Amino acid sequence: MEERRANIRRHDGRTLIAAACAAFAGIAHACELPPGTRVESARVAVSYLTIPAQIAVGQPFVLELAACSKQGPLPDRIRLDAHMPEHRHGMNYRATVVPQGAGRFHSEGWLFHMPGRWEFIFDLGSERLTHSVRVE
Amino acid sequence: MIRLAAAALLLLCAGPAWAQLLDFTEAEQRAILRHGPWPAPWTPDPSNRASGKPEAIEFGERLFFEPRLSPSGKVLCATCHAPYRGWQDGRARAFGLAEVDRNTPSLFNLRHSRWFGWDGAGDSLWAQSIRPILEAREMGGSQARAAALVRGDPEYACRFEKTFGAPPAADEGVLAGIGKALAAFQETIVSGRAPFDDFRDALSRKDFSSMKKYPEAAQRGLRIFVGRGNCSACHFGPAFTNGEFHDTGIPFFIKGGVDAGRHGGLKKLQSNVFNLLGPYNDDSSGASAVKTRQVAAEHRNFGEFKVPSLRNVAQTAPYMHNGSLATLADVVRHYSEINPDRLHSDGESLLKPLRLDAMEIADLVAFLESLSETASALPPRRPAAACR
Repeated sequence: MEERRANIRRHDGRTLIAAACAAFAGIAHACELPPGTRVESARVAVSYLTIPAQIAVGQPFVLELAACSKQGPLPDRIRLDAHMPEHRHGMNYRATVVPQGAGRFHSEGWLFHMPGRWEFIFDLGSERLTHSVRVE
Repeated sequence: MIRLAAAALLLLCAGPAWAQLLDFTEAEQRAILRHGPWPAPWTPDPSNRASGKPEAIEFGERLFFEPRLSPSGKVLCATCHAPYRGWQDGRARAFGLAEVDRNTPSLFNLRHSRWFGWDGAGDSLWAQSIRPILEAREMGGSQARAAALVRGDPEYACRFEKTFGAPPAADEGVLAGIGKALAAFQETIVSGRAPFDDFRDALSRKDFSSMKKYPEAAQRGLRIFVGRGNCSACHFGPAFTNGEFHDTGIPFFIKGGVDAGRHGGLKKLQSNVFNLLGPYNDDSSGASAVKTRQVAAEHRNFGEFKVPSLRNVAQTAPYMHNGSLATLADVVRHYSEINPDRLHSDGESLLKPLRLDAMEIADLVAFLESLSETASALPPRRPAAACR
């Protein structure tokens, strides 16, 4: 019985340490990301870059994304899209997202077919981040 | 005598009648500069190994004027795409073996296109070039007939082998080769420089004296085009098209039904063995097929049609996907009075009635006419020597 209590205490101790680490991470997690355009909320952050770097109207591009969570694990479900808020329409193409591991994602199928303001949409679970770019 | 001499001197000093230069804003200037330079750089089509090859261009040119591709022996590509009519036919709706539902698009500058046909059912020029050969109301041919023609005609068989490095064999592969040779020829159909290009290039050099040669009416029309008309949102870039599809409020009812436009085009694209996801795409990198794999089918595609290029637009009347508007002035009036309630789109708010007055309509037409080439850019055609 004594041995069992000791196990429980040891187990509780590990749980407490893990909980403390998680809490610490939740408060002060640096959420380090590779260079790119950084967009973040209180819970998640992404850094993205496009290839080519300069988005041209009517020209396909690739998007490389890195994401991290400031609280808990990164959500499983990631969805990327873009639209033109003033025109109230999206892209004519559906971007695919391929996980590369370690919070990195490779996305193809991007094409902005009109000049003006486009808004990237990064859905990470229930968290939505947006970022506007002007394409000319 | 002194008065006459003074008048002559005045005339000499005045030179040609130069226009006043409009005070284009910085934003307008940026928008204008986006419509050039012209001609745009040309690169071969990676999906077509015949693209840019002289032997393929010669082969394709012969096929373009070949009536035997049609069982009637009377319809050829040039029946509808007549070189002397801006590579179209001047009719509201094309007529091959029978009348079809759509206007014949011009063939200028197709190398710069992403999708082909009013509905974009073709994802390459070579795949699109196969379609009218097989279409019952156009040439009414068949894969077997076209392949037999190339295999059986020593001249064509020789040209096929010179172009593709192997003699014509199975029907499907031969038809793909016919499409690729036709595409190689059509890629050479490029429009020449237009008065607008001289104005645009002078603007890029800040050469105000050359800019003044551009008529005032065209300048005013250009200001509407890049400004409150918002025309350049879709008629974008050096070719004056963003290469995509929009509903512009033109009725899509046809005999016995509706023309589904892009909605139907995407279905045809997906079921076409010659699409870029299929075995005949020569692009081993796969990059050319990304658009076909990623294109999204949306409800709003119903009734959308491709945005045509405006280069040489004055040569290609009548207008719109069904040829329902006879003149450029009619087109401008259509957009001026467009009814947003008729647009079949999911909230897209691009097109609004412009309520242009008569002078503004004339100005926009003057601008559109200034997109016509002043000299043809087509290479001189020489009679091709027999293939050996």
